[in-house]
Amino acid sequence: MNASLYIVDGARTPFSKMGTDLAASDAVELGRAAATAVLARTGLDPALIDEVIFGCVGQPIDAVNISRVIALRAGVPAHVPAMTVHRNCASGFESLTTAADRIATGRGGIFLVGGTESMSHYPLLYSESAARKFTTLARAKTLPQKLAAFLRFRPADFSPRISLHLGLTDPVCGLNMGQTAELLARDWRLSRDAQDHFALRSHQRATSARARLAEEITPVYPASSHSPAAVTADNGVRETQTLEALEKLRPLFDKLGGTVTAGNASQVTDGAAALLVMSEAALKRTGLTPLGRLVDYAYAGCEPARMGLGPVHAIARAQQRTGLRLADAGLIELNEAFAAQVLACQAAARSSAFAREHLGLDHALGEIPDDILNVNGGAVALGHPVGASGTRLVLTALKELHRRKARRALVTLCIGGGQGGALWLETP
Amino acid sequence: MNITRHIDDDHVCTLTFDRAGSSANVFDRATLEELDAHLAVIEQQAILRGVLLVSAKDKIFIAGADLHEFVRSPDPDALAAIVDLGHRVFTRLQQLHVPSVAAIHGACLGGGCELALACDWRVASTGKPTRIGLPETQLGILPAWGGSVRLPALIGLPAALGMILPGRQLVGIQARKLGLVDELAHPEYLLATARAFLERGKRPRPAFRASHLPLARHLVATKARRDVLAKTRGHYPAPLKALEVCTASLGLPLTDALALEKAAFLELIRTPECRNLLSIFFLQERAKKLPAPAGSTARPVHRVAVIGAGVMGAGIAQWTSARGLPVTLKDVAPGALAHGLHTAATLYREATQRHLLTRAEATAGLDRITPVHTAVPLASIDLVIEAAIEKLDAKQAIFRDLEARVRPDTVLASNTSALSIDSLAHNLAHPERVIGLHFFNPVHRMQLVELVRGPRTSPDTVATALQFAKAIGKLPVVVNDSPGFLVNRILMPCLVEAVRLFREGHAPGFIDRLMLDFGMPMGPLRLADEVGIDVALHVARDLAHHLPHLAPLDDTLSRMLTQKWLGKKSGTGFYLHHSGASRTKPNPDIDLLRPAHPTPGNHRDVLLNRLVLIMVNEAARCLAEDVIASPEDADFGMILGTGWAPFRGGPLRYADSLGASTVVSRLDALARDVAPHFAPCDHLREMARNHRTFYAPPPPL
Repeated sequence: MNASLYIVDGARTPFSKMGTDLAASDAVELGRAAATAVLARTGLDPALIDEVIFGCVGQPIDAVNISRVIALRAGVPAHVPAMTVHRNCASGFESLTTAADRIATGRGGIFLVGGTESMSHYPLLYSESAARKFTTLARAKTLPQKLAAFLRFRPADFSPRISLHLGLTDPVCGLNMGQTAELLARDWRLSRDAQDHFALRSHQRATSARARLAEEITPVYPASSHSPAAVTADNGVRETQTLEALEKLRPLFDKLGGTVTAGNASQVTDGAAALLVMSEAALKRTGLTPLGRLVDYAYAGCEPARMGLGPVHAIARAQQRTGLRLADAGLIELNEAFAAQVLACQAAARSSAFAREHLGLDHALGEIPDDILNVNGGAVALGHPVGASGTRLVLTALKELHRRKARRALVTLCIGGGQGGALWLETP
Repeated sequence: MNITRHIDDDHVCTLTFDRAGSSANVFDRATLEELDAHLAVIEQQAILRGVLLVSAKDKIFIAGADLHEFVRSPDPDALAAIVDLGHRVFTRLQQLHVPSVAAIHGACLGGGCELALACDWRVASTGKPTRIGLPETQLGILPAWGGSVRLPALIGLPAALGMILPGRQLVGIQARKLGLVDELAHPEYLLATARAFLERGKRPRPAFRASHLPLARHLVATKARRDVLAKTRGHYPAPLKALEVCTASLGLPLTDALALEKAAFLELIRTPECRNLLSIFFLQERAKKLPAPAGSTARPVHRVAVIGAGVMGAGIAQWTSARGLPVTLKDVAPGALAHGLHTAATLYREATQRHLLTRAEATAGLDRITPVHTAVPLASIDLVIEAAIEKLDAKQAIFRDLEARVRPDTVLASNTSALSIDSLAHNLAHPERVIGLHFFNPVHRMQLVELVRGPRTSPDTVATALQFAKAIGKLPVVVNDSPGFLVNRILMPCLVEAVRLFREGHAPGFIDRLMLDFGMPMGPLRLADEVGIDVALHVARDLAHHLPHLAPLDDTLSRMLTQKWLGKKSGTGFYLHHSGASRTKPNPDIDLLRPAHPTPGNHRDVLLNRLVLIMVNEAARCLAEDVIASPEDADFGMILGTGWAPFRGGPLRYADSLGASTVVSRLDALARDVAPHFAPCDHLREMARNHRTFYAPPPPL
């Protein structure tokens, strides 16, 4: 790329399981907490920012263009524009890569990017027929009209449609995300046991990474709380997780020999993350030291029913652009939407048949080695606040690169709807 | 030139108040006469459709009467003449042959409100600066240009008393609810809305009000009187007089009613209470305009950091953020920050409940506070206010750390209530930028800020802190760095003396009532509970350590500390405090703290002298030791910082009212009979010898 994007610093909120510690804080408040922390940590004058770009999957109806709301509430002056991006689970990536494109084309040098998600706040919806009845009722003028409109309601009209479920179901292939993972498990013969072992490892790694993860966390002080409250740590990590406990869980998505359980899937979670990114010229101007540089990125589409293999497609696309191969990575973050999905990616990457058939390559992509993959745990333990995960992965990877004194990280995730995204990062 | 008259093609006359060379409109004799002349012209014009009264100022309709004029011309005939003039002109306005409408945007207070009341109709703008009220009783007088007569007639006796007795000011929407204004309008549409009211003609006679029937009126007045007495303990004659006039004038012919008002005004303005309240008003005006040191430059403050998220730190952060400044709130751990933010959020919630802020404004305010518990860059901070634990070595460490991380021109202020500012600057490369900014608890209620100048503090630092204090709407008093500064130094001896009285066997309730009856807003032992026994002990110890002339401390407070009786925050102190309970109860175990057979002695007056004159003595010392520059500083500081009986004018004004020789002889008697620490200071003795007063004697009334 002709002008590089540098990541100066970042921060994220704790990740909290839906309906727990952060349930009272909406996506704006979470995004604001992360954005404010980045501004405080870097000491950057917010007036210097060229644009604020946040991703959010379940965009709240009371904060349309949530990025603008976050920006203003984080103390970014009104003259700085803000836009919200959406690439489903890669919305956090998208905020970063949008900024990278802006920098590459000379449209600004300093960006505050990130992702936010309050899955606790996903609304319950009325069915369409109920909504129509409400409209009729609202339009009724006379008392008899109102009465007639009122009497048309049936009990079923008041049972809500749960937008979380709707959002996690692919409208094209009709499968929900768990079912797409089951499909991969069948395709690649991934046993329940292998998935549970993977989940256990994620919890174990996240447990021993507590102190390291704390470096990227900024506390949230829920404003609506009636007593002093500080949420300071992720609450999805189960420090005492055992294999036995995982084995007892029932499959969630497939009664006929299904293998995907709540234990080996990512958690439904609230959280936000933010990064301050800038061009090389802006670094010089502000005198700030970067954490790392975005080498390049790629998005790739794939079959919606097998969206979990998105990373493999994106890694291949990124390889074409950069020449960087899996073996060049000192660290890999591959988002753990499902244990089965990560295992499937590993299998597909090492399969030359898959490479030939689906990636148009003569050789397999290579090994995604366990010892450099998700070394601080992943979404199975930490949770997957969809809009924020991409940003979190970048932040976690960059901090870990420094700890390991490694050069390059590959950060990748699968995207509901059948896509993958892959970023190559390196230390400066 | 104060008023311009313009008659347009529609035959509508607009009188625009625009006092030359001032940002405010006020009523003085000249303005009244000018208005009179305009009215005389208007009366001659039969073709006119009506009169609009408007202001050309941004934030002020008419702020009230020019108080300086009252003080300048204190002779009773002149005062009577100005009351008569107001009565005559406003009545002339009321009786015009055409309708009149007041288009109110900005402060419409006192005489301004009375002018509006004399119009047929009133329209108020929804703009922020619009406030309407009759605050006269706060100055020891009553509305005397017809306000005490016309307001009850317009909105009914109960509502009128609710405004006049406490001197309450209303925003537009509240005034509309009470019927004080007839309509609300956006500032842009104010004139058009006011003009539309002209179509309605003169105002019809007011409807019958049941509350004005003799029996109802009696009941309303009795209750109001009881409420006033409960609040003022009979120390303030003005609300009672106003109550009398408002009630008695109902139903009287206008001239008789106005005569009652005038008589009451002339009586009140002669009282020492009024004089003292007026002087406080002028002291507040003085504080708002306090000049920076000559030749100094105030640096702008755009961003503030507050170190310490305790009650004071959180209060300062909330107040500062509410005034539009971004605040970085620093403490060592998220738990402490959670408490601080919760305190700030609660204050913001209360402000919205009291309609001081909209919810959006409160959210924006809270958003301006950035909590941090790690060492973040501070290069953008213009002013740091340290409000951490009151330990010298801890504070010195904070200042050393700050100095390494802020810009060279950042002002470093401490909210310490006791530690020497100069010692905080110890070992700093730039001690000249260290200053004390001592806020009082609760920050959002107490207007006073002590600006403490250390011997090395630079004039630019003073100027910057002064400008900041004014910008956030606090009233500064500048004091020199010395033990306890001003307010605590004068107050603490009283508190310690109250503890001594308690040790001698007097009940806390009795001791506190003595001071409430004297006119204090809160008794000293109750105050000790409020500030915290630990804090009180800390300050008292520190003062006793630095000022050997003070009474030695007994062990009462430290024994309370070992009992974990910390006052309000622990629920137990001299009193029991239960959250939710509106009244405190005496602590039943309090006798544990004193000898088995206490022997209460001393006459009531002696006890009162012990509590009050000890403060007078200390205030005199502050003046003699150049802690402050003038007696005004001491009185202003004590009244705003502690609520020191305002109608008495402060400790030094009170000393003047007794006379220095009386003060000295009483203190001598106390020193002889009670304890040596009452011995009057040299300054007082010298004043008594030479028959001097702290203030120049007032002009005779």
